Amino acid sequence: MTSEINIHDLHFSYPALNSEGEPVPVLKGITLEVERGEFVSVMGPTGVGKTTLCLALNGIVPQSTGGIIRGEVVVAGLNTRQHPVPELASRVGIVFQDPESQFFNMTVEDEVAFGPESLGLDPREIRERVDWALTVVGMSRHRHRSPFQLSGGEKQRVAIASILAMTPRILVLDEPTSGLDPLGKAGVFRVVRELKQRDGMTIVMVEQESEKIAEFSDRVVVLHEGKAVLAGTPDRVFAQVERIHEIGLAVPQVSQLAHLFNTRHSTRYAFTSLEGAYQALVPSETSRVCQASEVFCHSEAAYGR
Amino acid sequence: MADEPFRTRGSKLETPNSAIVVQDLWYSYGGEVTALRGIDLEIQDGDYVAVIGQNGSGKTTLVKHFNGLLKPARGRVLVKGLDSRTCSGLRDTADLTVGQLAQTVGYVFQNPDHQIFCDTTREELAFGPRNLGLPEAEVRGRVEEALARFDLKEYADRPPAVLGYGLRRKIGVAAVYAMRPRIFILDEPTTGLDWRSTMELMDLIGEMHRRGHTILLVTHDMKLVAAFSQKSLVLRDGQVLAYDETRTVFKHSEVLRDTQIEPPQITQLAKRMVPFGMPDDVLSVEEFYAAYCRLGG
Amino acid sequence: MSFSFDLYVQRRSWLHAVDPRVKLAFVFLGTLLMLAFKNLFVMLLSLVVTHLLIFSAGVPGHKVKWVWKTMLPINILIPTLWVIFYPEGPTVLFQFWFLKVTALSILRGVSLALRLDAIAFICFTWLFTTDQASLVRSLVKLGLPFEWGLVLAIGLRYIPTFYGLYTIVSEAQQARALDLTRGNFFTRVRSYLPILIAMLISALRTSEQLARAMESRALGLPGIQRTCLRDIRFRPADYAYTALLIAIFSFLLTLRFQFGLGTHPLYLF
Repeated sequence: MTSEINIHDLHFSYPALNSEGEPVPVLKGITLEVERGEFVSVMGPTGVGKTTLCLALNGIVPQSTGGIIRGEVVVAGLNTRQHPVPELASRVGIVFQDPESQFFNMTVEDEVAFGPESLGLDPREIRERVDWALTVVGMSRHRHRSPFQLSGGEKQRVAIASILAMTPRILVLDEPTSGLDPLGKAGVFRVVRELKQRDGMTIVMVEQESEKIAEFSDRVVVLHEGKAVLAGTPDRVFAQVERIHEIGLAVPQVSQLAHLFNTRHSTRYAFTSLEGAYQALVPSETSRVCQASEVFCHSEAAYGR
Repeated sequence: MADEPFRTRGSKLETPNSAIVVQDLWYSYGGEVTALRGIDLEIQDGDYVAVIGQNGSGKTTLVKHFNGLLKPARGRVLVKGLDSRTCSGLRDTADLTVGQLAQTVGYVFQNPDHQIFCDTTREELAFGPRNLGLPEAEVRGRVEEALARFDLKEYADRPPAVLGYGLRRKIGVAAVYAMRPRIFILDEPTTGLDWRSTMELMDLIGEMHRRGHTILLVTHDMKLVAAFSQKSLVLRDGQVLAYDETRTVFKHSEVLRDTQIEPPQITQLAKRMVPFGMPDDVLSVEEFYAAYCRLGG
Repeated sequence: MSFSFDLYVQRRSWLHAVDPRVKLAFVFLGTLLMLAFKNLFVMLLSLVVTHLLIFSAGVPGHKVKWVWKTMLPINILIPTLWVIFYPEGPTVLFQFWFLKVTALSILRGVSLALRLDAIAFICFTWLFTTDQASLVRSLVKLGLPFEWGLVLAIGLRYIPTFYGLYTIVSEAQQARALDLTRGNFFTRVRSYLPILIAMLISALRTSEQLARAMESRALGLPGIQRTCLRDIRFRPADYAYTALLIAIFSFLLTLRFQFGLGTHPLYLF
């Protein structure tokens, strides 16, 4: 089975800032495969190239940015260097960080319709897609509002709807909740949860909030100095607390707790969620049964969520 | 929850240690949207207060009164100035311009790109002190000190605008620091920063606090509130929902839930385990671990 | 801090339903007519007609008052300047030193001011009843390249945002003790530099992000003709209005050039 996203040994340097400067290397050899329907999260220090990686998925890197590229990126069967960006954009949708610069039309409805209009779809089909996308993100009641009447979180949900309306096979979210207030963040993550449950959509999410990464991801990739240095399921990755701290990132608090127990009591906890931690730490009926077969218990805690 | 005196309307809240006193503050934008509804508050010298609330709760509106960007529609805001007029040295912001208040109250805006405009980092840090009318030698001294303290020496002669976001953020804070205000207001300074940069910045802020500055940290990050702030001020719909020691506020987390803010994951875990003997005001992973071990779990 | 730099008044009226291209034609032809005539009664008639149109569309009175308030400086300045600098005609009403106030120059000044008011209200009849998206769409349908229309639409969309940006940058710099009030004219202008530069840099960053956002919506897909969800279409009524406009225009123009109607400020013939 060929992967939905296939990145092979990707190297990329941005063009020099001025005529005397050197090209700025950002990605230094990334290889990553993402299967259809997978949810992969990408973590990394600021400036490591997470946004560059996202842009490489719809061809903006290198077609619009210029720069020096080596290696291959194939998304939904298309090579990103051989197809024009708008064509790639119809398969790979990217939601960026800043809500303000992603809402450039005058009303919510116009904004969500813009993508399908660019694809030259029939107005009736556009109307159906707009209605559907707005329902998914919960903004149907606001369809005639202007950007000035919406909060940051609402604008981001409209941005997601605008991308969904193009029915991409792959959805990329580049730090979609950065700068939003708690309500706004919750709204966006609610949509992400909803999308994860739909079949067939491959999602790549760049985030700093490790708790959310643990909640959603099938796999986590950690970038450091232009390379992918850690990859695997959240349990495996967040168990490597020291390495992640070295890179300059955080793990979920419960993973830190698990690590504390593991280093001081030779336990083998691997919970990455609140629920997982609760189940593992609370003495209960289940736990009493477990005490009889300790190995089984610890494995449960290790692989359960 | 919050001590009674803080909640009584119109009472004399001033003490000799007051840095900021707010008396029955009301404010509306454009005469329509009432952003603040009768806020009474006293912030003491050397306090480290986290200001918490949803967007629209009035957090930013409130703190903008402290450096004079907004003037009360009703009520008073008193800030300790550098020169005393009353016995406690508090002056009414209504009598002062933003420029005058800038000597005492430093405001770091959320987006550093809203402040950065100079050709070099040095110039950027010098801008504030120069505007205060300080002699050039003093300005230069403060700039060098700020460059050292914020670890920016290697970028001193480069244009801040082309540096990475984390550095621009630090420069924004350093630029206000160079003005040596007594009170620092930081509006969500850690947005968009990774964990290491966040910790670096929080450590710098912590150091400023240890050296006697009063810190007001407007933030959505409850982990930071739990780890660094002494007191928490929770706002909702333009009113003070709670103003108390952070530990107390997190203990009564229905306050936070009331304004749809979630305490940190570890606090939530501890709360779920309260029936098993866990304390209900766990603020950090270490605290949880210690408490759990004491339970003999 | 959310307002829209939009003159559009959202209502459902017969005038709102008229195709924006017809309204654009109205503006074009109406302005030509106003330039062709010099008679103040013609201007007054035009003002009455446009006010009737505007009120029939449900536009509230305070908006109309706002236009008059905005035009007030012009309405005072122009007749005054005209009277001072272009005294003409036989009837002298008042004379002091070099100032000669004649009846004709007053009439000419007033009718010129009224002409500008008339043109303004013709434009506002269009702007009050056409939303920005339809406005841009009408220009594109008349031949403006889509990208230009998009640039125009985005410009309009971001005006309030950049005004908000100005406010926040101004506050941020003032919080660093920037003084905008001291000094002579030149010092004060220079003191705005920190604000303008920071704004410019922010605007450049935003525009780069905006470009990426637009590319990510498949803008410029080769070989594909863009469609439009809320397209504008000529209805039978619109054809009728266009015909009516052309008829009235031709009629009045004939009166003007064939029969000399309205060349004098006061007398119709």
